[in-house]
Amino acid sequence: MSKQLGFLLDSEKCVGCRGCEMACKNEYQSDPTPRWRQVFQLNEDWYSLPTRMFFSMACNHCAEPQCLKVCPVEAYTKRDDGIVVHNHDRCIGCRLCTMACPYDRPQFNPAKGKVEKCNLCYQRIDQGLKPACVAACIPGALQLVEINNQLDQKTGILKTLPGLPSRTITNPSIRFIGPKQGKQIRRD
Amino acid sequence: MGTWEWPLIIFTVLGEGAIGILLALWWLDRTLLDSALYKKATLTSGVLLALALLASLAHLGHPEAAYRALSHLATSWLSREILFFLLTAAAWLYLFIQVRQSKGNRRLAAGIASLLGLLGILSSAMIYVMPRVPAWDSVQTPLFFLLTTGLLGTLTLLVLDRKSLTPAQTTGLLSWSVACIVVSSLSYILYLSMLNASGTEGMATVQFLSTSSLFWTRVVTNWLAPIILLYPIIKNKKTLNPNLLLTILVFSGIGEFLGRALFYLSAVGIHITALK
Repeated sequence: MSKQLGFLLDSEKCVGCRGCEMACKNEYQSDPTPRWRQVFQLNEDWYSLPTRMFFSMACNHCAEPQCLKVCPVEAYTKRDDGIVVHNHDRCIGCRLCTMACPYDRPQFNPAKGKVEKCNLCYQRIDQGLKPACVAACIPGALQLVEINNQLDQKTGILKTLPGLPSRTITNPSIRFIGPKQGKQIRRD
Repeated sequence: MGTWEWPLIIFTVLGEGAIGILLALWWLDRTLLDSALYKKATLTSGVLLALALLASLAHLGHPEAAYRALSHLATSWLSREILFFLLTAAAWLYLFIQVRQSKGNRRLAAGIASLLGLLGILSSAMIYVMPRVPAWDSVQTPLFFLLTTGLLGTLTLLVLDRKSLTPAQTTGLLSWSVACIVVSSLSYILYLSMLNASGTEGMATVQFLSTSSLFWTRVVTNWLAPIILLYPIIKNKKTLNPNLLLTILVFSGIGEFLGRALFYLSAVGIHITALK
């Protein structure tokens, strides 16, 4: 593998508009139930001051993808650029990958009897385009990046956020810019 | 929380019962064993194995493409499970031919089928040993599967034809059954205490189990009732009552089905805890 592509999400910029979710649905005309990309609201209890913050998550194209490991039909492959591609035609709907992924990203579509997930718009990337979700993000909170030491050493880059599973399970290819918390002014 | 997976419950419990019978046959065949019992037991294990394999297809979104499940033997325990179960089915066919011949090498055939079956059960268990689910991610999972194999195999053989067994063979099978029940119940206590100390997801599993009426029904049917009913037989070496044996098998069977249902139901995976 020559490089590892992934997402960088700026939680300070994300306003929870779900435009990325809709762009993904529009691009693939996918059914309503499986949500390849999904916006989550961070729980306020994890921060010292009350605040409203979001993060958007699709498949994390993990460095050690459990879905790929457990799949009995080799429906998953990892490209040279690190993208974990799910071959819908090979899937037999055993759902083992949905049990193995801590982010619940491969999702079973009962209408098709198969699992689906984000393939990081590899066809668009191959044409030099941005993934649909990244292209549609109005505040520019979602970016496609190369995950490497250079990125990880930058100030403010976080490998995880509160409420996410331990990174040790799959080593996900997603990085965050954490939310800044507003001042709380007390008048007493 | 997990889901009620009927096809997987039927597949694993019946498959383990079928292989348990083959293992018990192989073990008993060290000494003289009635050929009528051999035929009956082989046929029973074959029917159970066939039902198990059929049930496994019902779990798939596309059962017609199930053959593809053999294509990732390098890392997927599910591929290995299917391979070993298919090989066991082939070995069972060989055993079936051998037991029908007067000079057939049935012990060798039973041995091959049992060992392949055992590998199938271990592969089956290893599917669930995954870091995402603390309730499954331990040595307890293969142990649970093996104990089901031992208990159902020995009890079924006793129920099939206790009369043709020698007292030593009967005692041997009864001892294995009791050992499986005792180890199963004691290891479950250890399992719950380890799980309770393993983090939020493990604690959620323990919480679910301890408040589930299914779990307490399992405690009675899988552990208490069989051990209470078996104790006087072992202790006083009483003559085996066929109805009593059948009752013990029915209790154990219900208990094993409940245990497997709870195995799937109580699985709490590590997940995103942010608000959706």
